[in-house]
Amino acid sequence: MADSVPLSGTLRRGLLRGLHRDARSIPASWLYLGVGATAIAVYFFLPATPQSLLYVAIGAVSVTAIFIGTRRNLARGRRLPWYLFGLGLLAQVAGDLVFAFYEISRGHEPPSPSLADLFYLLSLPPLGLGAFLVLRRVGSMASREGVLDTIVVFCGVGLMQWVFFIDPLRHTTFDSRWERIAQMAYPAASVLLLVAVAQLLVGATARVFAYQLLLLSLALWVGANEAYSLDVDQYRGGSWIDALWLSAYVVWGAAALDPSIRGLARRDRRGLPRLTRTRLGLLAAASLTAPAVLVIERISHHHVHAYAVGVGGAILGVLVLFRLAGLVNSVERARRSERVFRHEAQQAQQLLAYQNEQLLELDRLKDEFVSSISHELRTPLTSISGYVEVLLESETDDERRSHLSIVDRNAHRLLGLVSDLLFAARLQDGRLELERDEVDLTRVVSHAVESARPRAENGGVRLDTVLAAVPAVRGEPDRLAQLLDNLISNAIKFTPPGGDVTVRLTATDSTVSIEVSDTGIGVPEAERERLFERFFRSQTALERQIQGTGLGLHISKAIVEAHGGRIGVDSNEGAGTTFVVDLPVAG
Amino acid sequence: MSGAGLTEPAAVARPVILCADDDPDILSLVSLRLERAGFEVVRVTDGDAALEVIRARRPAVSVLDVMMPRQTGYEVLAAVRGDEATRHLKVILLSARVQKSDIALGIAAGADAYLAKPFRSGELVALVRELIEAG
Repeated sequence: MADSVPLSGTLRRGLLRGLHRDARSIPASWLYLGVGATAIAVYFFLPATPQSLLYVAIGAVSVTAIFIGTRRNLARGRRLPWYLFGLGLLAQVAGDLVFAFYEISRGHEPPSPSLADLFYLLSLPPLGLGAFLVLRRVGSMASREGVLDTIVVFCGVGLMQWVFFIDPLRHTTFDSRWERIAQMAYPAASVLLLVAVAQLLVGATARVFAYQLLLLSLALWVGANEAYSLDVDQYRGGSWIDALWLSAYVVWGAAALDPSIRGLARRDRRGLPRLTRTRLGLLAAASLTAPAVLVIERISHHHVHAYAVGVGGAILGVLVLFRLAGLVNSVERARRSERVFRHEAQQAQQLLAYQNEQLLELDRLKDEFVSSISHELRTPLTSISGYVEVLLESETDDERRSHLSIVDRNAHRLLGLVSDLLFAARLQDGRLELERDEVDLTRVVSHAVESARPRAENGGVRLDTVLAAVPAVRGEPDRLAQLLDNLISNAIKFTPPGGDVTVRLTATDSTVSIEVSDTGIGVPEAERERLFERFFRSQTALERQIQGTGLGLHISKAIVEAHGGRIGVDSNEGAGTTFVVDLPVAG
Repeated sequence: MSGAGLTEPAAVARPVILCADDDPDILSLVSLRLERAGFEVVRVTDGDAALEVIRARRPAVSVLDVMMPRQTGYEVLAAVRGDEATRHLKVILLSARVQKSDIALGIAAGADAYLAKPFRSGELVALVRELIEAG
């Protein structure tokens, strides 16, 4: 049989709706179902002899399909349950063949019991064993609860089968003892198949297509057997019951042909069966079997099977009690482990609170450290710059004055660093609080530019301003001056002699923009994002030994953001950099 | 730079300024500045001595370091403000603690001014003069 056949688009979509398989072909299983359904339809329109032959043929082809599908879809070592299904159905087909032989050559059904019955009954052990193996693999019996559920269902079904199908045969007259035994064997075997159907129905595994097909075929098979057992004498070849048996053959074959059969071979590891609505319903039905049987027998004035119902009911009651005890135990277990977890959570919480406290303490110590370091550094700096100032006042020699100025300048630079460190430490704590006033940025910018001019001239850099009249912003003048000083100092530092630094001040309705651009060495694209990080120093700055701490831009950004503004950078490597600060207009 | 002390007439009683700092370098720097500006300076190196001088000599202005042994600048300030006899005297706190909160604390404690280290000499002298004139 071909695995797949190419097909035109529309038809393909129609057939594939709801399926998840390779979209370029019809799956073999669907093809087989289609062909099988047609054959079954044809079956009912045929005269007796071809009808009997077609019955055997459908069975034989399905058995072949099972063997082919198993070999194609399953790895060696995973095939046993499906070979057992094939073997069981092969025995069924053998029985069908005997049946057909009688119908064609003798013109009547075989006597009871016959070789056909032997084959039919022989088919049941492999089928049951196969179903058991599949169920075990998909995890239906992996837990105590799963096994208990199976036994509950088994007892319910067994009681029903005994009362309505098996026991009545004891009081029926048969031609021989063997006939009676054969007839009783069918409903007895059905118990096992019914249990298998019930287990598949509540199975915990993923419902792949092959799973559903297997469930359907077993259900059809059991249904046919039950219908047959209800009225053995009325059964003739060509009855509607044949449709069930034949469908079971076809669906079983299709299941084996479907690639999703592999999903059935994988072990499901979900452990405890969940109490789904189906499972609960099934368990309820099983445990209510005894009273239901009693009521039905009473109403229909049948002989009441008091012993069977009593024993069955008692066993079911005990089983339900066991199941309940299991549930209560697992609730207890869950509660116990919940207590343990809660205790652990509490401990973790306490630890966390303790660590939090320690962190706060560390933070406080760090603050104290930074603040005292800053204090300790400022004290000697006070002496250095104070005495340099004294010396400068009385020094008349130009060279010495120049040297003293250098000491003074560097003392101030050191002071700037100390201030920046203290400021950065406070930023880290989120303690930047502003005193807000209306600030005229034109004034702040001019002042910053003028105080930077000596440094620019020293470095041979031209410093220009383009200032428009701008509305006031709300902020802290000292901080904004610090911001401008940082940006302008940076621009001068990174611009080689002969270059330009330009500070522009412009405004729109809602923002005032400060632009500080230079014709310096520029910032590589990779570094632009990190530029505002604390202590970040660009590679070029390090290579060219341009001094700095990596705090200026970090502080600038914090100042801008504390003012509700934004800072950005644009740069052409080697051609210059522009920092743009947008601040909201006051009011 | 203003105020070369030598130009002041020696006969006129010069205002007395108290300088208190445990760092001898800074103490002599502050004193030098104020002496050159024409004031008479009394130097001490701890809080107890500062308070003693304030009570005995009633200096027009006291320049107190904050972190001093025995008594801090704050403690001395509190004692000065708590005594009816010395309450009106001017006090400048001089400190390397320069955060806004420190300054606010100093002013709240009753200092007439708070000067951050390092200071420019012009700043210090102008402040002292201003306080004397206001007093």
